[in-house]
Amino acid sequence: MTSLRVAVDIGGTFTDLQILDESTGIAHAHKVPTTPADPSEGLITGIREACATLGVGPERISAILHGTTIATNAVLQRRLPEGAVITTAGFTDVLEIGRHVRRQVYANRAEQRALLVPRSRRFGVIERVRADGAVETPLDEASVRAAAERVRASGATAVAIAFLHAYANPDHERRAAEIVQEILPDAFVSCSHSVSPEIREFERTSTTVLNALLMPVVKTYLSRLKGRLADSGISAPVYLVQSNGGVTTPEIAGEQPARLLLSGPSGGARAAEVLAAELAEPNLVAVDMGGTSYDVSIVHDGAVRLVTQGEVDGLPVRLPMIEIRTIGAGGGSIAKVDETGRLHVGPDSAGATPGPVCYRRGGEEPTVTDANLALGRIDPGYFLGGAMDLDADGAGRALIDRVATPLGLEAGAASEGVVAVATARMAAAIRLSLFEKGLDPKDFALISFGGAGGLHACDTAAEIGASRVVFPRDPGTLSAWGMLFGDVVHDLARSRLMRADPAAIPGLRAVVADLHDEAEALLARDGIPEADRGHPVTLDFRYPGQAYEIGVPLPAGLAMPEALDQAVAAFHDAHERQYAHAERHVVPEVVTVRMAATGRLTRPGARPFEAAPDGRPKGTRPIRIAGSEREAAVWDRAAMGAGVGIDGPAIVEEPHSTLLLPPGWRLTVHPTGALIATRIAKEA
Amino acid sequence: MDELDPIQVEIIRNALVAAAEEMSVTVWRTSRSAVVREILDYSISVFDAHGRSTAQSAAMPVHLNSMPACLDEILANHIPIEEWNEGDIIITNDPYAGGQHLPDIQTFKPVFLDGQRIAIAGILVHHLDVGGGAAGSYDASATEIYQEGFRMPPLKLAEGGKRNEAVIKLLLRNSREPVNVGGDFASQLAALDTGVANLQRIGRRYGPATLAAAAERIQAQSEAAMRAAIARIPDGTYHFEDFVDDDGIERDRPLRIRVALTVAGDSVTVDLDGSSPQAVGPVNCTLNMTRSAVICGVMMALGADVPANAGCYRPVTVKAPEGLVVNARSPAPVANRMATGHRIVTTVLGAFAEAMPGQVPAAYYGVSYAYALNCFMADGTRRVYFDLECGGWGAHPEEDGASAFSCGFHNIANAPVEMLENTLPVTFTEYALAPGSGGRGRTRGGLGLSRAFRLDAPEGAFAANLERFKFAPYGLAGGEAGQPGRLTITRAGSSVAEDLPSKVSGLKVARGDVLRLQTAGGGGYGPPAERPRAAIERDRAEGYAETSG
Repeated sequence: MTSLRVAVDIGGTFTDLQILDESTGIAHAHKVPTTPADPSEGLITGIREACATLGVGPERISAILHGTTIATNAVLQRRLPEGAVITTAGFTDVLEIGRHVRRQVYANRAEQRALLVPRSRRFGVIERVRADGAVETPLDEASVRAAAERVRASGATAVAIAFLHAYANPDHERRAAEIVQEILPDAFVSCSHSVSPEIREFERTSTTVLNALLMPVVKTYLSRLKGRLADSGISAPVYLVQSNGGVTTPEIAGEQPARLLLSGPSGGARAAEVLAAELAEPNLVAVDMGGTSYDVSIVHDGAVRLVTQGEVDGLPVRLPMIEIRTIGAGGGSIAKVDETGRLHVGPDSAGATPGPVCYRRGGEEPTVTDANLALGRIDPGYFLGGAMDLDADGAGRALIDRVATPLGLEAGAASEGVVAVATARMAAAIRLSLFEKGLDPKDFALISFGGAGGLHACDTAAEIGASRVVFPRDPGTLSAWGMLFGDVVHDLARSRLMRADPAAIPGLRAVVADLHDEAEALLARDGIPEADRGHPVTLDFRYPGQAYEIGVPLPAGLAMPEALDQAVAAFHDAHERQYAHAERHVVPEVVTVRMAATGRLTRPGARPFEAAPDGRPKGTRPIRIAGSEREAAVWDRAAMGAGVGIDGPAIVEEPHSTLLLPPGWRLTVHPTGALIATRIAKEA
Repeated sequence: MDELDPIQVEIIRNALVAAAEEMSVTVWRTSRSAVVREILDYSISVFDAHGRSTAQSAAMPVHLNSMPACLDEILANHIPIEEWNEGDIIITNDPYAGGQHLPDIQTFKPVFLDGQRIAIAGILVHHLDVGGGAAGSYDASATEIYQEGFRMPPLKLAEGGKRNEAVIKLLLRNSREPVNVGGDFASQLAALDTGVANLQRIGRRYGPATLAAAAERIQAQSEAAMRAAIARIPDGTYHFEDFVDDDGIERDRPLRIRVALTVAGDSVTVDLDGSSPQAVGPVNCTLNMTRSAVICGVMMALGADVPANAGCYRPVTVKAPEGLVVNARSPAPVANRMATGHRIVTTVLGAFAEAMPGQVPAAYYGVSYAYALNCFMADGTRRVYFDLECGGWGAHPEEDGASAFSCGFHNIANAPVEMLENTLPVTFTEYALAPGSGGRGRTRGGLGLSRAFRLDAPEGAFAANLERFKFAPYGLAGGEAGQPGRLTITRAGSSVAEDLPSKVSGLKVARGDVLRLQTAGGGGYGPPAERPRAAIERDRAEGYAETSG
C-alpha cells in the first residue's frame, strides 16, 4: 500500500511541496501560491492538489514535514504579544544593555537596536544562584508574587523568566514559573533553563524572550493547522522543521517556538548534505542566491555545519542551528556610483517591489538582474519561463546613466563590472565562512540553488579556487526535498564549567546521564521506538579564558577516561586546524555538554532518475563575457540527456532559473540528475 | 591588465578588507584573555608596500588611526623600510616611538611576493598585563613611564622567518598574566601569518603593480570623500574647550583641552595650543595618540561613511606644541591616555558643533571606564579582573541619545556577568541602566549604567582610571549636561557607600566589600522646555527619568 511523506516549505511567494512515495522512493514536486494571511491554507491546497495529481487519497499520507517562517516573520514584522521579563533583581536591564557591540564605528547616531520588552515590563525578584549552582540567596516567593501581579497589571500575556546562572541550577526558575502560572494561569511562560540552558545572560535572556513571545503565535497557528488537516481528512502526524535541520512535534514547537527561528534555509542545507553523499562530494559550499540575499552554508566531511548561536533582526538566538552566513547580495542588489567614483553593488536591494528596472514596476536603480539582462545572460522573453516580459532597453539605459557614464566606462564593461563586484562579494563571504573554520576552498565544490544563483556560480567558484559546481535537480523545490530527510532532534544542553581532567569524570557522567534521561523522556513522548533513538554527545571545549568554544563529539561506546581523552585530543586537533595553533600542554575546559536527542525517521531511498534522450540546444544568442561578445549555445535543461556535454560559453534555462557556463567550463549530467560544471581551463 | 579600471579597484578593495577581516577572525576566536576575548580590544590594518594604511577591519578607531602613525615613526626613526626583509616581524609597545600605552603591543609583518615587498600586515592587541606598578599595567600613581611596565622599542621579533624567542620570554616574565598574555600573543602572531598568506594571494592574482595602483586609488577615494564633506562646512575658525577632571596625582588641577578648528576649503587644521601642560599622572597623550583622537573626532563629526585609510588623514592637520598634555615629553606616564583621548574627541566634536550647528550630537560619556581588581586568593595565587565600560550617548538634534552605547572611539563590548563569575572570585550585585543620568533637553542624553560587584577572595587591590566625575558631558543648544559618573565602595558589614575619586590606585579591598561604578549619561540637546509631552511621559513610564538615590 502506497504511503506518502510530504514535505512543505512555505516561502514568501510560493509554497513548495515534495511528496515522497515511500514504497518507490520517488518524490514528486508541486508548487502553489503562498497564502500569507494564513499559510496553512496554501499548505492544505498544495497537499490536496498533489494528492489529486498522484491519484491517491489524503489518508495515505504517513507524515507531514513542515518548514515555516511563521516565527521569523512574526519577529521581523513585530506581530508579537506584549511580553514581560522576570529576572534577578539588579539585572532587569540586561536585555536593554546588550553587549555594546556596534557595527559602524564612526557613526554619530546610534544604530537602532530592537528591544522586545520595554523597561516598564521587566521585573526583578529577590534570589541569587552562584556560578557553581549553589544558592546564595533563596528565592523570595513574595517578590515573585509581587512581580506576577505587576505583569498582570501591565497587560502582558507572555512572560520570560531568566535568572542568573539558571543553566547551573534551574530550581529558582522552576519555582518562579509555578508561582507565575498560579497567579496568571493563561499566561505563556518560558524559562531560560529550558529554552537555552547556556552561560551568558544576555544571549540566554534574549532567546527566552523570543521564545515566550512566539508561544501564542505558534500555538495559534498550529491549532488552526490541526483543524484544517482534520477537516481535510488528514490524520498523519505533523513535524515542524527546526533551525538545526531536524524536526520536532507540534507539542514541542508550541513550547519551544524559538527552535523554529532561522529554520528557513535549513531545508536547503540539509538537501546539500544528502547530495554530498549522492554525488560523493563530501565537501560542499551550498549557496542560495535570491532577490536580496545570499546564504552560504557548509557541508564538511559529509555533514552540514552547525553553530550554537544565530540572530534574527539583530537579536541573539542561542540555540544550535545550521550555520548560514548571509550577505546582502542578490538579483535585486542595487548598483550605484558614489561621489568619489566608487561602484557599490548591494547591500541595498530593490527587492521584489519596485524590483529591478527590467521588471517594469517603477524601479529606477539598476540591479544585478538588470546587468545580467544587459549582458544577454538572461532572455527577456523567458524569465520565469516566459511569465514575465522584461524591459531590456530600460535596464540598459539605467546602467548607462547610473553606472557606465559616471565611471567613464562603456556600457558592456559597466554591466560586467556590476556582476563582477557582486561575485567578488559573494566569494569573500564564502572564503570567510570556510576560513574561520580553517578549511581550504580548493577542497570544496559549490552547490548552487535559488533563482539568481546559476548565473554567478561558476564565476564565484573560480574566484575562490573551486573547480566544480553542482546544479541540483528541481532547484525550485530543493529546500522541501531536503526536509524529507529530517530526523526528530531535541537539542539538549547543560553549561557546566569544568577542567577536562580525570577529576571531572564523575560530574561529566552525571550530566550525560541526566541528559540521557531527559532525551529518553522526550523521544518516548514523541513515540519514537527505542531502536530508532540516538544520543550523540558533544562537548564544547575551550582553553581556560577563551571566549568561544569548539564542539567535539564524545566518542560513543567508549569507557570513560578514554572517551574524554579522545575528545580532548580531538579538541586540540580541531583548534590547531581552525586557528593554526594548539596548546597541548594546557588542560582545556568543558563549558557546555550537549546531546542531540535523535529519533530517526525512515529515510527516503535514492531518487531514481531517468535522463531525457540527448537533445540539442534550442538556439544560440550573443552574450557578453570577459570583455567580448560571444555566441553562446542556449539549452533547455530538460534537453540535457545523459550523454550531453556542453562547453562554455553556454546558457542553460529552466523555468525558474538560468545557468551560465563561462568559457573554460564543461557541463555534464550526473547519473542522479544533477548537472556538474567542471573547470577545464584556467582561463578561456 | 595594465590600466586600472574602477571595477578592479572595487574588487581589490573588497579583497583587502576581506584579508583584514580574516586576520580579525583569527584573533577574535583564538585569543585567551578577557580583554581580547569578550571586549574585542584589538585592531587590524593592511598597509601598502610603502606602509600607508589601505584597509582596516572595523574595530577600534583609537588603535586603527594610531597604527599608521606608529608605522610611520618606525620607518622614519627606527627601522627604515629597506631593512624590512621577508619573514621579519617588527614589534613595539613604546608610546614614545609611535605607540599609545604599554599594554598595546603592535606587530607588523612585511609581505613579499617573488622577492618584492607588496604590502605590510599590522595588528595591535591590548594585552592583559605587561608589568608595572599595578595589575593590568594601569598604575594610576605612576609619574614616569618606567613605572608603567615592560617597554619594547621598535625591534625585530623575527628575522628572515626565525623568531627571537628571548623577546617573548622577557615579555612574559614581566607580566602578571603570562599564560593569558602568551596565548593572546600566539593569536596575534597567527593572525599576522593569515594576513601575509592572503595578501600574497591577492598580489599573485592581480599583480604587484595593479595592487599598488589600486591601493593608491583606494586611499585617494577616501581622501576625496573626506574633502568633499569638509568643503560643505563654512570656512572659519571655531573654538571649543572641555576638561579632564585631574591626573589622579594633583587632584585639584583640572586639565584643559582647547581646540581651534580652522576650516579652509577642503582641509581642516586642529590646533590644540592652549591646552594644559603635561600632567604629572598618567593621563598624558603622545602626539600620535592625540592625532588618532583628532582623526576619530573629525570622522565622527562628518558622519560620513568613508572607508578608513591613509587617505582620510591627509586633509587633517594636527598641531600641538610639545610639553602639553596633548603632546607629552618622555618620560611622562601615559597608561590612562584614554582620559585625555576621549576629551580630545569631545572637544573636537564640540568645535564641529559650532561649525555645523544641528548636525553634531551633544557630548557622550567620554571615558573608557577602565578598572582592575587584583584578587589575592587563599592559596597565594592572584587573579586579575580587568574591565571596561561605557555610558550614555549624546542627544542628537533629531533623537534621544542611546543608553549604554559604546563610543566608536574605543568600541568596547562588555563581559557577561556569568562568564566573569565563573572564572573570577567576584559576585555582581547590579548591572543596570542609571535612571536620570541622561542630560535633559528637547532630545535627551542616553543613560549611563551602573555595575557593582563584591570581592569573594580574602583580599584584593583595586585600581581605576576613570573620568567625568567633575566635568559632566556637555549639552548643546540649551540642552543640559549628562549626570557625571561616580565610584563608591561599601565595606563588608557597612551600609554606607563611600565615594572614591575617579583615579584610584592600590586601594585595599577585603572579602565582602562591594565596589560600584556608575557611568556618565550623555548631554541633552535643545531646551528641556521644548521636549514633547509624549517623550516626557514615556521617560516617566519607563523609568528613564527618575534620579537615582
